Amino acid sequence: MSDFPDWQTLIQKHLDGQSTDEEAGALSKEIETNAKVRSDYLKAARIHGALGDEVISFDLESTPPRSSGTPSISWAKPLAAAVIAGAFVGLLGVGVVWAINSPKSEERMVSVSNGNFEDSLGPVPLGFPSGFGNWSGDPAEVIEEDGNRILRFLETANVTGKPNGGASACNVFQLIDLSSLQQDWNTENADSQFTLELSARFHRESAPTDAELPKISGSCTIHLYQAAPDSIGKAWPQVISEAVAIGNKAIRLEPGEEGKRITASCILEPEATLALISVNVNAKKHSTTPIKLGGYFVDDVQLTVIRQPNLPVRVVK
Amino acid sequence: MPVADSEDNHEHFTRLLLESEPVMLRSIQVAVPHRSDAREIMQETAVALWRQFDTFDPTRPFINWAMGFARIETRRFLARESRRAQLSEKAIEALELEMEHSTELDHAIESHLATCLGKLNEKSRRLIKGYYHEGRSPESLSKREGRTVEAIYKTIQRSRGELQTCIERQIRKAQA
Repeated sequence: MSDFPDWQTLIQKHLDGQSTDEEAGALSKEIETNAKVRSDYLKAARIHGALGDEVISFDLESTPPRSSGTPSISWAKPLAAAVIAGAFVGLLGVGVVWAINSPKSEERMVSVSNGNFEDSLGPVPLGFPSGFGNWSGDPAEVIEEDGNRILRFLETANVTGKPNGGASACNVFQLIDLSSLQQDWNTENADSQFTLELSARFHRESAPTDAELPKISGSCTIHLYQAAPDSIGKAWPQVISEAVAIGNKAIRLEPGEEGKRITASCILEPEATLALISVNVNAKKHSTTPIKLGGYFVDDVQLTVIRQPNLPVRVVK
Repeated sequence: MPVADSEDNHEHFTRLLLESEPVMLRSIQVAVPHRSDAREIMQETAVALWRQFDTFDPTRPFINWAMGFARIETRRFLARESRRAQLSEKAIEALELEMEHSTELDHAIESHLATCLGKLNEKSRRLIKGYYHEGRSPESLSKREGRTVEAIYKTIQRSRGELQTCIERQIRKAQA
């Protein structure tokens, strides 16, 4: 790298929008002609982009995998009390205890029914959920491993059951009622920005089909709709175009790799009445017939609402 | 188009887009580093991709097809916005060309970033988390940390530099 000017410093300034037009012009010329500066810029920009990745952010302060029932992200320590207290009001759909992250950031857990899979064992019901508070979807099962119950993705399918429909992923869905949350939080308040974060911990073990699925990945997705719960499955998947917001986060794990938590987020629009959350595994190859999976697992699905100013959000209208 | 085909098409498109979106967003951020700007471009790209999805050849990688649209939308954005200093067209072209030959870079960053974040000191990690994950502005972090905005910027920028050095070291170690 050239010593003068200090291109590394200028690259970093530019990534934060701090460079002047003159500096950006000088950096541009150097990028065009100096392979080392070009390469350094690319690395710095890629790291800048990756740092915005929720997976990395969460891993910053992640704790070892939980056994069951407690949050596995330590920065949410104040939320531990919220989770416990929230259990008493879980029937209302949302917890009532707030966790104050900072004077400007407030968080609250939103109840995901059986989010840690401890309340069931065996196959997950097939098909799209028609009401709130139940997991269902493509072939998957809850198994017990070392005293901890987790969801295993069994095979890909087309949740609508259409012949010759795409079957490259195994999705397990749950519908969450947002109406009371919207009222309690007064999300139409223009002074605040509300975000929903869906997180889940994935891990992968070796499976006989590993060699055939080199690109297989796990992900979690949130869709927000202004709709009745039973209307989503009936209109799936064209209803996706009517989503108020969508958030998605994917992760690719190697067999045997340590489990990782990922988080998808999206803005909580005031008009959204329900959230469709899903955890899924995608074989990353087009198929109209089921593909055996078996090595991907997910646990500890959590949904959090955050009131926070100036949060980067993704809104798909 | 028959309704069933249309539905499958829509689902297929959505899945492809969701799978490709993180990679596309990071690529857009090379030319347009500001995250909210990059997201704006991503949304315009998604609309353009859906409009043209009938022309997509499913035997070819979606990401390659989609990135062409992302490049066009990035150029459009840069042509109409001047809220931040921009790289030149030629510099962006050079970077895009380089990106095509450095597909392993993303994977290496993903593999080593968490490790390298763990090596940052407590203060730097807190700022990185506030800036990226919590989406706080340097001004907001300045108030929270009781430091000047300039000091916040410098710490974040120095931390990214340290991360880059650490990742390069990890890559060399893995190759040794």
